Amino acid sequence: MMRVGGAIGAGNHIDRFIPVSKLKYYFAVDTIYVGKKLGLLIFPYMHQNWEVRYQQDSPVAPRVEVNAPDLYIPAMAFITYLLVAGFALGTQSRFSPEVLGMQASSALIWLIIEVLAILLSLYLVTVNTDLTTIDLIAFAGYKYVGMITGVVAGLIFGRTGYYIALGWCCISIVVFMIRTLRLKILSEAAAEGVLVRGTRNQLRMYLTMAIAAVQPIFMYWLTFHLVR
Amino acid sequence: MQFLSAGFTLQWLLYLRMSTFEQFNPDFYQSNYDINDQQQTSYNYGGSSGPDSSSEFENGHPQPKIFVPSEMTQTSNLYAGHILQPQELYTPFSPSSTIYGGDTDDEPSLLEEIGINFDHIWQKTLTVLNPMKPADGSIMNETDLTGPIVFCLAFGATLLLAGKVQFGYVYGISVLGCLAIHTLLNLMSVTGVSYGCVASVLGYCLLPMIILSGCAILFSLQGMTGIPLALIVIGWCSLSASKIFISTLAMEGQQLLVAYPCALLYGIFALLTVF
Repeated sequence: MMRVGGAIGAGNHIDRFIPVSKLKYYFAVDTIYVGKKLGLLIFPYMHQNWEVRYQQDSPVAPRVEVNAPDLYIPAMAFITYLLVAGFALGTQSRFSPEVLGMQASSALIWLIIEVLAILLSLYLVTVNTDLTTIDLIAFAGYKYVGMITGVVAGLIFGRTGYYIALGWCCISIVVFMIRTLRLKILSEAAAEGVLVRGTRNQLRMYLTMAIAAVQPIFMYWLTFHLVR
Repeated sequence: MQFLSAGFTLQWLLYLRMSTFEQFNPDFYQSNYDINDQQQTSYNYGGSSGPDSSSEFENGHPQPKIFVPSEMTQTSNLYAGHILQPQELYTPFSPSSTIYGGDTDDEPSLLEEIGINFDHIWQKTLTVLNPMKPADGSIMNETDLTGPIVFCLAFGATLLLAGKVQFGYVYGISVLGCLAIHTLLNLMSVTGVSYGCVASVLGYCLLPMIILSGCAILFSLQGMTGIPLALIVIGWCSLSASKIFISTLAMEGQQLLVAYPCALLYGIFALLTVF
């Protein structure tokens, strides 16, 4: 019954389509990591060192490194967002299972579009980065934490509470994304703050800022109709 | 709705068939050869008998169950002069047995054969009802779907008594939820977990939810008393489920992480109960 390697382990047919062992890395989390990461997402201003430690060419597991991306928080945040949206619609008597399905599919589609757009722009700017697609999905999923905070605040405190909480979370996620992506996209010299001239680095800087700026837009777009 | 109850019974029957197949009774071949009378002379057969019986005859240990090929009966007549009669078979284990199978006394009981062990079911239920007591990791060693199916049906029945005919939603949500948590646990833990184990644990931890829907029959849960009660029950269910998962899969430092998706799943059940 308990098989070593798991039911979705290597040797299974699914392994050809979804890289299961790589996925397992993103779920190697524990409670302390999740707590620290959620704190970072809401309040990233005091954190000093944003670099991910490496161990023989592969990044260290999220369990021991708070800067590493994971997929547990985005997955749970997405599902919680759906439930909170259903609850919010229920309190306004606008709930039906079809509406929930529509919310789920629209959120998912926007996520896919965002990840594809980032991949395309990374390709066009010819950035040599070790950002994988799963990393991008993880980063795109982190904004759901802010969205949930905004909607819950809106349910408890009304529209004012919603705007304040959403504003705070938008700024936090912008800072978080810039500080995290700066290390991955920009060249090493520029990432350390040294002013490096050249269109290449400027383009990369613009790209980082564009990715970060798109987050608040999505956050507002996907939540404003939930709070009355 | 008939589809769904048929689906339930079909699943349960498949499970029972699989468990009985593994306990196939090996006592199929029983001889009509009485060894007791033959003990002294049986050793002389060594050369002439077939390979089947020579391996069965050992010094001083009468082998009660041997398949006797037809030519043996002829030789036994020659050597021992013992006239074989289709008499009662000697077996040290069941003196009252008949010739061709049918050991009515040492057959395992019907409940054992289909794998329902009331003692284990009761132990697991007690583990769920007391979320503070640390769980034993070995209780989930046998996947037992009887208890969970009974609890699911009881949940649907109490919902029915409260006026909500929602068997379909209960079934659908439990299947989807089991699938999602199975995927998550396989990704999060070092050793994997099978689908049956996940379904079993989640089904057992549905018990407090049955208590909640029982309360829903008596008074409406939408007021100020109902919502905190629902939240307490959700917390209770998810703590028990995560406690059992943690002890079975040996995951440290992840209890809250496992409890959260379980809480989401039981939250959906609570939504069904309250609204």
